[in-house]
Amino acid sequence: MFDQKGQIRIIESFLAIAVVFSAVLVSATFPSAPDLSKQESLASIGTQALIKLDTNGTLGNMILGQLWCDIKTALDILLPVGVSFNLTIYDETGHLVNSEVIQNSNLLGREAVSVQYLCSTRSQTVHFFVVRLQMAWMG
Amino acid sequence: MRQRANSGQILLIAAFIMASLLLSAQIYVLEVGKTSEEVELDSLSDFILSIQLGSENAVIGSLANISNGGASDTLELNLEKWASLIGDQYLYGKNVLNYTLRDTAPYSSGIWLNWGVNGHGFSSAYASFSHRLSGREADVSHSYIMNVTTTLLITSTNRRLNENTRQVNVTINVLNEAEPATAGQITIYYLVSNNWLIPDETNNYTLLNYGNGTYLASFITAFPTESVEVSAHIIDHRGIYVQANATSTEI
Repeated sequence: MFDQKGQIRIIESFLAIAVVFSAVLVSATFPSAPDLSKQESLASIGTQALIKLDTNGTLGNMILGQLWCDIKTALDILLPVGVSFNLTIYDETGHLVNSEVIQNSNLLGREAVSVQYLCSTRSQTVHFFVVRLQMAWMG
Repeated sequence: MRQRANSGQILLIAAFIMASLLLSAQIYVLEVGKTSEEVELDSLSDFILSIQLGSENAVIGSLANISNGGASDTLELNLEKWASLIGDQYLYGKNVLNYTLRDTAPYSSGIWLNWGVNGHGFSSAYASFSHRLSGREADVSHSYIMNVTTTLLITSTNRRLNENTRQVNVTINVLNEAEPATAGQITIYYLVSNNWLIPDETNNYTLLNYGNGTYLASFITAFPTESVEVSAHIIDHRGIYVQANATSTEI
């Protein structure tokens, strides 16, 4: 009688393990959650691209000169192939500065990451801008 | 009795399996967390670097303004705005940027303009910064110094060509932070009868760029003495103005 009870308990424990294991297997087949490290890495790549562009005051000069196409071209070169981006520039009071959209493709429906960059110009009248770069991996 | 003992062993094995499953899950979570933390640190250091770069740009722009005749408090006003903008943003945490303008000689309110007559000219700005970032993700303090200096060194010689005319050579060296730098604009003057004149095509004026921050200006003019005062006015590629005067001596 006791032996049968023990066997049943063992079977029950195995069943419990089987259920847990099945759950693990099933969760592995779910669509993967957003890869946070990949997103963070993209944020880092974006910040580094803006830092490179801002070295020698180039980014500030481009904004002052309203060279939106040049900014887009520079980001196309500095960001890796396969990254969609959208850049928005605000002045220190929060007003939108770029009169044209600065982007290489639409970010709709993609897992986007946003980077905020503070920029000051080297011009005789120093201007300050808040640059927001949104990026996503294509495909 | 033997069956009961076996069932105990199986239970132990089952417990080990469950423990190993739990440990694997725990290690996985730890590994994922470690990667994310490394990337986050990269982003944080990039952010701190971007603030430093912005401070440098603001100092350079302010010096360009002041050296071109702007108000002497421009540097302070610009840095105040910059610090305020940073303080208004919550990026990685609360940001506080403090700055101190150098006020010990020869600097005053972070600025030193010395456009001497001995062939040396200096336009310089000096400020020290302290950036404190405190938040849930990080608590970091970072101090740095911005010393932006454009130096101009000139020497000049002249030689007699005939009874009335002389060829004047002015060698110009432009330095940014003691490193050779390019000039955006160079204007040469020479003093004749208390008038500063600019040599032009009529003086066969030429400007040779050696590509290493050294320039040679050369022109032909008439003056009665063996020496003449020359002056070079430079705007470097960052827009910072500096000038220096020297005496051109006969060789």
